[in-house]
Amino acid sequence: MTKTHKAIKVENVAKGKADWHLYTDYCKGCGLCIVKCPKKCLNWSKEVGIYQTPAVEPNPEECIGCGTCELVCPDNAIRVEKK
Amino acid sequence: MIEMLEKGPRLAKAQNAEVGASKFCPGCGHGMILKTLAQTIDELELNDKAVFGCDIGCSLLSWNYMNVDTVQTHHGRTTPVIYGVTRANPDLVGIAYMGDGGGLAIGSQHLVNAAVRSENLLIIVANNTNYGMTGGQMSPTTMPGQKTETTPYGRDCDVTGRPAKGAEMVASIADPEKSFVARASVSNLRKLKATFKKALKNVDMGGFSFVEVLSVCPLNWRTNNVQTWDRLKTMEEFFEVKDFVQREGLE
Ligand SMILES: Cc1ncc(C[n+]2csc(CCOP(=O)(O)OP(=O)(O)O)c2C)c(N)n1
Ligand code: SF4
Ligand code: SF4
Ligand code: SF4
Ligand SMILES: [Mg+2]
Repeated sequence: MTKTHKAIKVENVAKGKADWHLYTDYCKGCGLCIVKCPKKCLNWSKEVGIYQTPAVEPNPEECIGCGTCELVCPDNAIRVEKK
Repeated sequence: MIEMLEKGPRLAKAQNAEVGASKFCPGCGHGMILKTLAQTIDELELNDKAVFGCDIGCSLLSWNYMNVDTVQTHHGRTTPVIYGVTRANPDLVGIAYMGDGGGLAIGSQHLVNAAVRSENLLIIVANNTNYGMTGGQMSPTTMPGQKTETTPYGRDCDVTGRPAKGAEMVASIADPEKSFVARASVSNLRKLKATFKKALKNVDMGGFSFVEVLSVCPLNWRTNNVQTWDRLKTMEEFFEVKDFVQREGLE
């Protein structure tokens, strides 16, 4: 059986140029990405991470798919896939 | 909404994909340093040559973090253990990973002797200005006025002396023809990767490298996300981020 991963998927950010993913089994809810996001468009999510604390997700209208959040996340929880 | 995806997180090959979430606290700088180190190992294609040693302190929580041969040993002794490995097999690229307590207090004699002898390894000291694993006591790098478990009124340098500056200390004794010595910070992980690249290239060329990385410990600092990044800025004002010694040929 292929391994699957629990994730929040936000499709078509950056005017459809990227998809944004957060793996909830990796996100520890530290919020460091929220501070570093250049567009200040990352917010706490209704979904929770591995410690049952809020995960994060971007406002898809404002996210530019820059990948800063993926770069800073200490726990590799975010993957921004350019299309 | 939660979905099940076949594609998982983007991890370096040098990072162990089997273990899932790391053992570090939320927002810990060790995760940022080690994922950057793993990416550097990938980019320099050192995956089959790298040997990773972690210390006592929160660095030991990385005993299964890397997808390279790993050993864990006692406070600051990671340095002689790893250069023992590279003395026995000079083709390997040895990395000794430790905290400010392990590197600059309890294991400092090993650091000094490895530096003066230009032992063939990369020593990384993750400086989070406290003894993280044991609950946040003062360490050699605790900043003036910083509150810790053992300095509840703030570090008083008249009583405790001034903070140790690891990179400057090593730079003053390292052989400029064989060494790379730098201080970096988790505030800029692209720059940290560039620093690790030079450090690992130098080790691959047979040299001695030392990188102190200014790191964060939100748990013991009792800081939220905003305060954590702010505290790191204060640290960068006190501990200069730069390459102190760079032998020729490391571009
Ligand atoms: C020889 C020795 N003395 C003391 C200890 C207790 N001890 C374990 S972790 C630690 C502090 C580690 O601090 P640091 O090296 O800065 O790493 P951090 O946890 O902050 O990453 C101490 C004092 C020990 N394990 N061995
Ligand atoms: S990709 Fe860039 S803009 Fe989008 S949430 Fe991440 S940091 Fe913010
Ligand atoms: S995505 Fe990463 S940086 Fe952001 S809150 Fe989760 S663990 Fe922290
Ligand atoms: S105590 Fe500090 S250094 Fe240790 S894992 Fe937690 S945040 Fe990281
Ligand atoms: Mg420490």
